[in-house]
Parts: sequence; structure tokens; C-alpha cells
Amino acid sequence: MRIGKVNIENYKCFEGRFSAFFNEGINIIVGDNEAGKSTILESINLALTGVLNGRYLKNELSQYLFNYNVVNTYLESLRQGQNPSLPEILIEVFFDECELPLFEGNGNSEKVNGCGVIFKIEFDSTYQGEYEALVAEGNDITTVPIEYYKINWKSFARDSVTARSIPIKSVLIDSTSSKYQNGSDVYLSRIIRNDLEDSERVKLSQAYRKMKDTFIDDASVRAINEKISGKAKISDKNLSISVDLSTQNSWETTLMTYLDNVPFHQIGKGEQCIIKTNLAIRHEKSKEANLVLLEEPENHLSHSKLNLLIKAVTDSCDGKQVIISTHSSYVANKLGLENLILLNDQTVTRLPELPTETFTFFKKLPGYQTLRMLLCRKAVLVEGDSDELIFQRAYMDAHGGRLPIEDGIDVISVKLTFKRFLDIAIKINQPVAVITDNDSDYANKITKKYKDYVGYKCVNIFADDRDELNTLEPQFVDANIADLATLCDIVSISSGTYDTAKKVSDYMVGHKTGWALKVFESDTALQYPEYINNAVVWCDEK
Amino acid sequence: MKNNKLIIAAAGSGKTTFLVNQALAVESGAVLITTYTEANGREIRDRIVAKKGCMPSNITVQTWFAFLLQHGVRPYQSVLNDSIHSHDIGFFLSSEKSGKKLDAEGNPVLIKGRPIYWGGKDFLRYYFTSRFNIYSDKISKFVFNTDKATKGKLISRISRIYKNIYIDEVQDLAGFDLELIKLMFKSNSSVILVGDPRQVTYLTHHSTKYGKYANGQIKLFVEKELGKRIQCEVDETTLSASHRNNQAICEYSAKLYPDLPAPFACECDSCRVDDAHVGVFMIKPSEVDQYLSTYKPVQLRWSSASKINSNFPALNFGESKGATMDRVLIYPTNPMKEWIKNNAYALKNEGRSKLYVGLTRARLSSTIVMDYQESNCIDGVTFFTFTGNVVN
Repeated sequence: MRIGKVNIENYKCFEGRFSAFFNEGINIIVGDNEAGKSTILESINLALTGVLNGRYLKNELSQYLFNYNVVNTYLESLRQGQNPSLPEILIEVFFDECELPLFEGNGNSEKVNGCGVIFKIEFDSTYQGEYEALVAEGNDITTVPIEYYKINWKSFARDSVTARSIPIKSVLIDSTSSKYQNGSDVYLSRIIRNDLEDSERVKLSQAYRKMKDTFIDDASVRAINEKISGKAKISDKNLSISVDLSTQNSWETTLMTYLDNVPFHQIGKGEQCIIKTNLAIRHEKSKEANLVLLEEPENHLSHSKLNLLIKAVTDSCDGKQVIISTHSSYVANKLGLENLILLNDQTVTRLPELPTETFTFFKKLPGYQTLRMLLCRKAVLVEGDSDELIFQRAYMDAHGGRLPIEDGIDVISVKLTFKRFLDIAIKINQPVAVITDNDSDYANKITKKYKDYVGYKCVNIFADDRDELNTLEPQFVDANIADLATLCDIVSISSGTYDTAKKVSDYMVGHKTGWALKVFESDTALQYPEYINNAVVWCDEK
Repeated sequence: MKNNKLIIAAAGSGKTTFLVNQALAVESGAVLITTYTEANGREIRDRIVAKKGCMPSNITVQTWFAFLLQHGVRPYQSVLNDSIHSHDIGFFLSSEKSGKKLDAEGNPVLIKGRPIYWGGKDFLRYYFTSRFNIYSDKISKFVFNTDKATKGKLISRISRIYKNIYIDEVQDLAGFDLELIKLMFKSNSSVILVGDPRQVTYLTHHSTKYGKYANGQIKLFVEKELGKRIQCEVDETTLSASHRNNQAICEYSAKLYPDLPAPFACECDSCRVDDAHVGVFMIKPSEVDQYLSTYKPVQLRWSSASKINSNFPALNFGESKGATMDRVLIYPTNPMKEWIKNNAYALKNEGRSKLYVGLTRARLSSTIVMDYQESNCIDGVTFFTFTGNVVN
């Protein structure tokens, strides 16, 4: 039992309809800031629990839930005297691999037979009269009339549902937020509650009730009550203090969870995140499935703690579904690039059928900046630091001092793993340039090595075919051969001692990053090898 | 193992108790118990709670119409007509044939003095009121057609929800209800129907479809209409003793249905109470008030228009179905009186059923309010009077 597909409409950053499919096991959502990663997690959780920001949304509807543009379009056409239909929010979750006939039907926006729930924030037609009066009054509607809205939460069989009746239990673990510090942590108690059998839950409620009864019955409390009721002669009735016995499950809101005698919300955010995640994924009630929504786990976690968390997720996600949003290549590589969902301009892309050895490679060496390549507009892959520095400088010289990253072009050092990165790039048609040495063997090291990528327009290899100029240093010297003295000057060597191209080049090979840094920081512009200039030109192509 | 069964048994023989016990004995899988009337639904729920302390989570008790609305109509409500995809469909209990054509003022359009009706081609007006409440007499047709259009998904969904489907008072179902029963028989669920052909006091609707099975002929339906591939065992013997009525009431009520096997009073110690005033009696209207204060019977009548003593509790015959009382006081209609005087009288189905239901409510005494001549003997009935003489 898991979620297979989600449709979101007009909710927060999603204007119109957005759809995403999810796999079993781990799903990693990556995308730029504001792309809607958190909104996806939030809306899935909302449709499965009715909870937003730790509170039941039911009585806290607000216009800010609606997409800004959708609201504006509505208001604009209202202003023009048209009669626009009121905006509606829809979140629809399709279940997959499940046997839940109670949730089956065609009551979804796609009108297909399916299994799932539909969560709508819609105009309550019992207020039709009031709304019409409001519109008739004139042009002073400045926002969605949210007071006439209701939540319509149903199964695809058009039956009302509650958080309890939905068998997929979702937990949103949001380590970035510090909004909900009051009292016990809703998520935590939800996780604990979900894990309890009915009988255990009843026992806990009863124990709590007993504790309250004991309190009221205590001699000192009774004495106090006698005193109060003696003084407060407001009416014939008795005034007394007591504890609130009104709600059934009040333990959830008042009982506090402790870790080593420290209240849970007082411990570090990172630790909280790990504990919540562990509790959620170890959930073992057999009849229910668990969905863990993990928001940017890399926040608040040290590298080693992050590793612990990732290990916990990968080890025990068997049969559970985990959806993670992240900015961290490390997290993505570790959890498996095959599980990536790229979010961009309200569309999603996956990395289908990546060669197995490519993702196992990145799993084992998770330090590589895979996400950077996927998220930028264009990527330039270079071998090492000096290549990176020289390319950036060449780009700046051609673009009035702007760094490539300022134009959405990310320059990434990938050492010798070009092909691994290219394997990923071709799957999502990501424009990528490779700037590489010919290592004295252009025929083999370039032509043959990259022959598999020839057919891909998105892949561009930049290298020089003169085998005698095998790396960047001799290439760079060659480009500046007309004015070796300036080059020597910039890299701080005596042009007297280093009087041949060979000597300058050898020096630079011996001081790899040093010379490149000096060139990068120099006030004087130098010449760049042609293949690097070509790469700069490629960056400007549409 | 799937197992279909039709159990036919007389009043008081423990049909509902049987269903309740069957339901409580189910160890895995959900059970639906459905019945036509709200009152009987409540009765079933009460009995389960009385036995078990609470309603087990795997048992659902729902009236037939509520069940059809929830699981028959709504899950695939737009398959037959896309325009109602997002409507909230409700329910309208129609006591007569629904879907009359109305004129602009809302009065029925008459042709030669008779109302005319929307046909199936006017889909929305045929099935629904203007507020999208589905008519009770057409709901099962809607469900049947939707199931056909979904290629059986609708019934398959139901049978995956409820491994066991029990229908009480099955004699009330008619027309397309029977088609649905047939589909359920064919599904993977075990279906148990219990009913009494003698107690057709309500019908879900008056349909021409399967009209010949409408008057308690469910057994005939099972025997004739299922075809070879659908199995259903008919059981008329398991529940043959009345745990409610004494022998006198059993024998007298059996006269209404001479073609069906007569039940006999059980011999369970717990069912039998010693009492001085037991049997089938007749009293004169002049003695009703005294009788009511002395014996506290429940008054049973044809309808709320019937004249009774309003200081004492009263029920319509139809409403009393399924209930057990110590004593009843029956206000017969004129045709009923004719039958009481002469058992050969051709009392119509509805009257016959209701009289049967009325007589069989009581554990101790069923007393008929009717003027009589002491000199005339009425077969099976004892004349009762407070003047001292009890005349036979």
C-alpha cells in the first residue's frame, strides 16, 4: 500500500494542475528554491491527515492557501464585472498496490476508476445567496471570500473520510521549522499514536484520566475548592477548579515526550529529526502503511548525523514509502539517484533507467555534486580546480566580469568521472559541456571515450586535438606564446629564468592550483586555449 | 468458502437472532447486515450490542437503501451520465411511482386523467429529483445498470468490502433488488437471505420487473431465475419453531397461510412463561379501555388514521415487524374481520400479511377488537369479557 500519484491544483505555488508520480520505497524531490518541493510534501500530508503546520486545517482556512495568480485572475475578472467561478484547491492522492475497496470509485478529477482520497477546499454552496449579495454590492471584494469555503474530504467512492479512516499514515518531518514549539510536539504524538494498538491507546487514555481524577481528589485541591466556592458567591452554583476532562484524547496534547529527561522540544533540532524519522519508519502496525515525508534532512544535521539518518532511512524503509526533499547531492547520491524526482517549472522529470553501475558509483562516492548539474541551466564539467578557475576567468572576461553561476551556468569539478555525469545528463537532456585534456591521445582519450555521446545534442565535448599539448598547462602556455613575459609576470615567475614555453609549462604543472589562482585573480586578461573559448561561446548559445 | 443460502422461516422463529449469531461468529472479513426498515436495523444493532457489549468493527448494519446509496450509487455515480460526476447525490423515499412529468406550476401533466412519467431517456429526471436525490423505486435499477457499465466493478468492490452479506426481511425486496441479489450470489461474498413470505408488509418499490416474485415468492425466484451456475441453498427447516408465540398463536396465525408449513411453539425453558391469560382472544370494543388497563397490550393498527385509545402505546402493523411484545391488541380492518369470521375469505396479500404480522408479535396473548355474538363460534379464537364468563 503506497501512494502512486498526486494531483495538486491551485495550492500555494501551484497554479493550475500539477501532477507527480511516486515509486515505492524512496523518492527524492530536488529542485530549486521556490520550485514547490515543500509544498508537495505539505499537500500530501494535508490530504492524508487534514493537518497543516501541525494544526487541523478545518477551522483555519485562509486565502493564503490559494495560488496568488489564480486569486488575482479571479479578482480581476470580478472587477471587470464578469461572474468568474470561485477558485478551488484540490489535492488528490491515488493509492497504489492496495486492496482498499472502500476507497475505490471514480470520484476523482480524472474520472477514472481508482483508489484514493480527494481533498478539496471549495465554495460552500449553502452560502450561494450571501456570496451573490456580496458580489452585487459592488467592487470591494479584495480577496477570496474564504468565510464561505469548506473542506470537502472524500474517498474516490465519494464517502467522507477522516484521518483515522485513511489507512496510509503520513508523517511529515520538517526539521527546518521552529514554528511549533508550544507543548507537546504534534508530529511526535501522532507518530506514537499511530503506532499504538487500539487497546494500548485506550489504556493510555484511562491512565491519563485516572491521573486527573487523583488530582481533583487530592486533599489540598479539595480544600482550595471549598475556599473558592465559599468566596465566589456569584450564583447558587458551585465554582471549583479542576482539570479539563472534556476531550477524549487529551493526553496527546498535554503529555510531553522526554528524551533522557529533557523535554523533546528542548533537544536539538537535528536530534529531534533523527528520532522522529526513526519512530516513523520503524512503525510496525501491519494493517497500515506508513508514508514518511522528510523535508530537507540535511538542515540541522552534522555530516555524521546525516549519515546516521540516511542509514536509518535506507535500512528500514522496507515496505514503507519515503518522500524526501533535499538540496544536498550527498543525500541524493546516498539514497540513490534512480529515485530522483526533478522539479522544475511545475513539471517533474525522473532519471529513468540509469545504468546500475552509475548510481552505485555515486552511492559509494556520494561527495560528487550531482544535483548541481541537474538543477542548473547549463553545466560545465571540468577535471579539477585549475580547469575550473581558468574557465571561470575566461567566461568573466567575455561577460563583463560576471561569474558563470550568475547566469545559471554551474562549473563543477568532477575529477575523472565525466562519463558518470554524462550518463545522468543524457537521461534528462540536461545541456552539459565537458572541458577536458587530451592526455596526449586525442583519438582514444576523446574520440573513442566519448563516442557513445555523439548522438546527444545536450552533450558537448571541448578538447584540443593536438596530442603534444596534453593538459591545460601546455595549452595555456601555447595560447599565450606571443607574450610569455606577461604570463610569467602574472604567475610570479621570472621571465628570464623561464624563457621557453616548455619551462613555463613545466613550472605550471608543478604548481597546478597556484598558477590558476593567480591567473583568476589577475587584473590583466590573458589569452585562453581555443577549446576553452569555444566552451564559453557554447554557454551563450540558446 | 463461499456459500449462499436462503432461509425461510415463520415469525418469531429467530431469523434475526440467527443472522446476528452468524455475524458474530465470523472470524475474519467484514459482514454487512442489511434490511429494509430503519426499525429493524436498529433492532439488529441493539441485539448485537446486547450480546457483545459493542458493535464489532467488522460488522456494519445498514438499511438496504443506505447501503445502495453508499456502495451502489456513489462510487461510480458518473459512469452512466458524466454530468453528475461532482454532485452530492441524496436519497428520496418515494411512496408511489416516481418521476411524474410536471407542468410549469408543478402540477402533474395528465393525459386522459392519468399522470405521465419521464422515461429512461430523460436520465436525470427519470432517476433524480430536481435536487439530485435518487428515487427509492429506481435506485436498484441505477445500481444494476452502473454495475453493467463498469463491467462488474461495482459488485466486485462490494464483495471485496464485505466477505459476508446478510439480508434480513428479504421478502421486502423486489424488482431490480432481485437482480442485485443475483449478482451478489455470483460474487465472491457469502450471501445469506432470511425472510418470511408471510410478512410482505412493505416492498422497496412496485416494479413490473420480476412482479411475479413480489408477493413473498423469493423462494420461487431463487429456484427459477438463478440459472445453473449460481448456487443457493434453500433452507425451510432450520428455523421451524417459534420462540415467541405460544402454540395457540402459532396455530391461529398459520391459518392465514395454509400452503406453508405451520410453525410450532418451541420448548425452550427460557422462552416459555407461565401466565393465566394466554392465547388468541376477541373482545368487544366496549371493553377495550378496561382491557388496556388490565393487561397493558400494545395496540396494533392499520395506519395512524385508525381509531385507538391514544392513552396507550400503539404501532402500525408494518412498523411492528420484527418486534416482540408480551401482549397485543389488534384493531382489524373490515376485510380482516371478514377473514376472521370466515377463513375462506379471499383476504388480499397486504391485509393478510399485516394481520399475520400483528398476530405473531405476542408471546402471551393476541387479542382482536371486534364485535361478536356470543352464540357464534369463531374458529381458533376465545371470546373474552370482564363480566366473568369466558365463552368459547
